[in-house]
Amino acid sequence: MNDLLAVLWVARKDLLHETRSKATTVATLFFSAVTLVVLAFAIGQDERLLQGAATGALWVALAFAGVISAAQSYQADLEDGAFDHLLTTPVPRAAVYLGKLLANWAFMLGLSLLMVPVTFVLYGASFPSAWPWLLATLALGTLGFALIAVFYAGLTANLRARESLLPVLMFPIVVPILLASVRASGAIVAADDLELALGWLRLLVGFDLVYAVLCTAIYHFVVEE
Amino acid sequence: MGAHHAIELRGLIRGYGRRAVLKGLDLELSAGKVVALFGANGAGKTTLLRLLATRLRPSGGHALVFGHDVVRNGHEVRKRIATLAVFGGAYATLTAREHLRLDAALRERRTPDADTLLARVGLADAADALVRTYSSGMRKRLGLARLLAAEADLWLLDEPHAALDNEGQDLLDALVRAAQARGVTVLMATHERQRSRALADASLVLDDGRLRLLAPEAAP
Repeated sequence: MNDLLAVLWVARKDLLHETRSKATTVATLFFSAVTLVVLAFAIGQDERLLQGAATGALWVALAFAGVISAAQSYQADLEDGAFDHLLTTPVPRAAVYLGKLLANWAFMLGLSLLMVPVTFVLYGASFPSAWPWLLATLALGTLGFALIAVFYAGLTANLRARESLLPVLMFPIVVPILLASVRASGAIVAADDLELALGWLRLLVGFDLVYAVLCTAIYHFVVEE
Repeated sequence: MGAHHAIELRGLIRGYGRRAVLKGLDLELSAGKVVALFGANGAGKTTLLRLLATRLRPSGGHALVFGHDVVRNGHEVRKRIATLAVFGGAYATLTAREHLRLDAALRERRTPDADTLLARVGLADAADALVRTYSSGMRKRLGLARLLAAEADLWLLDEPHAALDNEGQDLLDALVRAAQARGVTVLMATHERQRSRALADASLVLDDGRLRLLAPEAAP
């Protein structure tokens, strides 16, 4: 089996589902926008405070939206035994995981690219000169988040209390990713300190690698009952 | 297929929590046979099918499909099987044609002639409609088309006649007979006593976690 092709087909299936149902898109866009507005409102009129909080608020909005996205990513699978059927095809479980990961990451990365300009306008932050590094932070941060979110969403997919269990289980694990992402993007946007940002980015790469290897290796335990 | 049985169970046990559903099943099923599996609701018919489809792990004992252990050689097992779920197992936001393309890609088979295949199961006019617009019978017919496209050696069918109209049930029976003629082994969990017994070479009953062979003239 060409496993890479299987990964792409599973991702295509999930992205097709999202483009047609738009369930996750609507929910996450609305939720992220509300989070950003409420946080800006709570911080108040102080320009320096607002600018300093911009990247933190962005990642809070992305984290909450990411939970919704992850929980939704198995919704279509669970209907009518479709995921069961998928898992009886001769596709390695790791390919199924990586396919779902790819779709979820693409979605979160797209969402983060939409949220960045909204955040900059709302919080009065100026667009950084080192913007490629901000893109790299968004890519690595959303990848790390998606790695864990898709794994734990699979673990809780068949549970009745999945909506409440998913954030409880995944947030303690995802904290290092969020901290590194907030610090790296803060160093790029607010402090213009690329050296500091690179340190956090190296850490993000490390976390992503560890989580990618671990989650891919043990995903079959998640889907086999 | 060699000398291996299509299905071989040795002391197969499966429970959910403390409740034992399958209490040590033993079975040897030769290739090319059609077998009906009866049993009351909750008797463990679907559990047995899911174990053979590598979706569940046994609590004890062994299950082999064409000589491959469902736990240790799950990937090899999945190359030889095709399943039909009670509700069809299709994605609501994909079309029938897209399902056939997806399955073909995942099974590394050439993409089937979707129009011919879907016409065969009575879905010619619905090939490009999203499955969410289908009735439950149409979903089951799509399941039949996917079953045919899989070109598998063992069909595991869960309530295959359910949701199908009379014409659909006749079609299913004809497809099973044609598959058997090609050497395909079929195990179907069903409540459809009359049709299934007419179709099957043998009938089994799952009762209190154990399998017993049903005599040709006996009622389940």
